[in-house]
Amino acid sequence: MSDFWTVNIFFVGLLFLIGLYCLLAMKSLIKLLIGLELLAKGIMLALIATGFEKNTILTAQSLAISFIVVEVSVLATAMAMIINMYRHTKSLDIKNLTNLKG
Amino acid sequence: MHIFLLLGLVLCSILAVFFSDLLKAAISLAGASVFLALVLFEMGATYAGVFEISVVAGLITVLFIATISLTEKKEDAKHNKRMRLLFPLVFIGFILIDVLVMSQYLVKLSSLAGPAETGVFGQVFWGGRTFDLVAQIAIILAGVFCVLALFRKRSGDE
Repeated sequence: MSDFWTVNIFFVGLLFLIGLYCLLAMKSLIKLLIGLELLAKGIMLALIATGFEKNTILTAQSLAISFIVVEVSVLATAMAMIINMYRHTKSLDIKNLTNLKG
Repeated sequence: MHIFLLLGLVLCSILAVFFSDLLKAAISLAGASVFLALVLFEMGATYAGVFEISVVAGLITVLFIATISLTEKKEDAKHNKRMRLLFPLVFIGFILIDVLVMSQYLVKLSSLAGPAETGVFGQVFWGGRTFDLVAQIAIILAGVFCVLALFRKRSGDE
């Protein structure tokens, strides 16, 4: 694999680290979604960089567009759930979501 | 140039995580999307770049800002200060490991040989990936139904 691909995958690793950190350390529901978005950006970069490296950029773009559609659908649903949770608990803190706690 | 765009992407991502104001975090995320779109344009993925800049930097940012304006309370969600201080150490440690893995292992991976693609994007997208399009329509409908179900008026609501 070329150096160009390796540099891109290096940054994919960094994006994954930041996204995972956000998912693990943040307590706001919206921040969790931002972490998910960052993971999605890493995946998108990996897809296109690999497509560029293998000279299959057209298929990589098709997959990237499918991925964006899935991402939007997931985020819209997650945001609707967040608004509903906020109406019940009056807070965005995940510590307050303890209704199912035994 | 490519490296600077990628650095901008990582910087905007870090800002999106660490801004305590959610509105600023959402705008930083949009900035990260713009940088990613520029990277995609540079690699020749123009259609994916256009989708990234219009849908992710545009639509998702609007959704984020709408959600923030519907929910935000100033004193909400205190974050752990210790975790915040730990991040630079983890980040630097990860960069070292990442560089080691990339230089020792990934760069030596042999690339599997495959035929180069021919044709135009439209042929590949509409002809070669037709089943993906059907799945995308199903996913959009599922998302719409989920949002409708979550926002429907219950009989007990005033």
